[in-house]
Amino acid sequence: MRTRILAFVLGVTALAVPVLAQTDQLPLPPAVEKDLAARAANVTEVTLGRNMLAFAAKFMNGKDKDEAATRQLIDGLDGIYVRSYEFDKEGQYSTDEIEQLRKYFETSEWSPIVRERERKTGETTDVMVKLVNGETHGMFILTAEPKELTIVLILGPIRMDDLGKLKGIGGLGALGDVEKSTHSKDKGKESGAEKNAPGKDKGKDKDKKGGDQ
Amino acid sequence: MRRLWLIPLGLIALLIPVSVVLAGGEGGFDGVVRSIESRYHVRATRIPFMGLISMISEKATQKGVSDLHVAEFESFSGPVDGDELNRMVETKLGSGWERIIRETSHNGDKQTLIFIRPQGERMGLFVVDLDGHELDVVEVSVDPNHLNENIGHYGHRHVSEKDRDESD
Repeated sequence: MRTRILAFVLGVTALAVPVLAQTDQLPLPPAVEKDLAARAANVTEVTLGRNMLAFAAKFMNGKDKDEAATRQLIDGLDGIYVRSYEFDKEGQYSTDEIEQLRKYFETSEWSPIVRERERKTGETTDVMVKLVNGETHGMFILTAEPKELTIVLILGPIRMDDLGKLKGIGGLGALGDVEKSTHSKDKGKESGAEKNAPGKDKGKDKDKKGGDQ
Repeated sequence: MRRLWLIPLGLIALLIPVSVVLAGGEGGFDGVVRSIESRYHVRATRIPFMGLISMISEKATQKGVSDLHVAEFESFSGPVDGDELNRMVETKLGSGWERIIRETSHNGDKQTLIFIRPQGERMGLFVVDLDGHELDVVEVSVDPNHLNENIGHYGHRHVSEKDRDESD
């Protein structure tokens, strides 16, 4: 009898866990997200979980190449999260908060591939990738402008070459730049051009580390 | 020992109120509209012949769009707590719906919530949009394949070519 009861309780728990586990929250420190949202004039959130991506992939029948590539790209993804915060005034978020976000991803699994600092505009861009056995399994993009902050997090296996295909999705326009930067880097490699040649971009610090896995 | 059967019964009894609360009585489109009406003390403008309009749109789009529901709230006053509105809509819609987009302004005069629900080969779309003094609630069932073809037909290609030119 006790075994049956135990089995029943376990069964109920097993049924309840997936319901409780479903979340639309960005896997970031929740306090940071809430604080930023509280101060922002406008907040835009795009949340595409694994189920939604799989559902979307179902309707990309691959009649053209772009669609087929997008389907391939999103099919295995675990999620795409975009958070965009627009502020009324400059200085409504601190550099500490940005640093907190960066540090959250500064683990052994995540490697920075792009680090861009525009001195004139104060704009910064950070791109980090999660590497698992030499393959990209996640991407974190943080773009900070004086009055705007955008966070993009893509989880799951990513094919860097196809990444630009997602730029049409709201808030993922930056992915076009990531694709361009990986392509230009490849061209640079082919032509033997020197990466990050000093003095090339005045007022701009650019540091691309990625892809040399 | 025989009374051990009371444990699972107790568990079920505990779970039932939770599921009832989650269901929140009337759910779906009507549930959301009613809760907005009662929470913000407003009345939705009912669009006459909505059923007929829905049927016509279904025929006109060759089942691309169906089950259209629209509720319009005019003269919506007072700021809206985005979190509260989001929670209310999520609770009333119930399981199966996933919010994919949320746009909210700090002063509460602009709120957009877009939910999606897979319906086999179709997709349920639920939109709540507040802009100033007007709030619209729309539920529609669409055929994504149909939508895809139309998007491709009317502009996607143009954008792609432009993008390609830019990237070149």
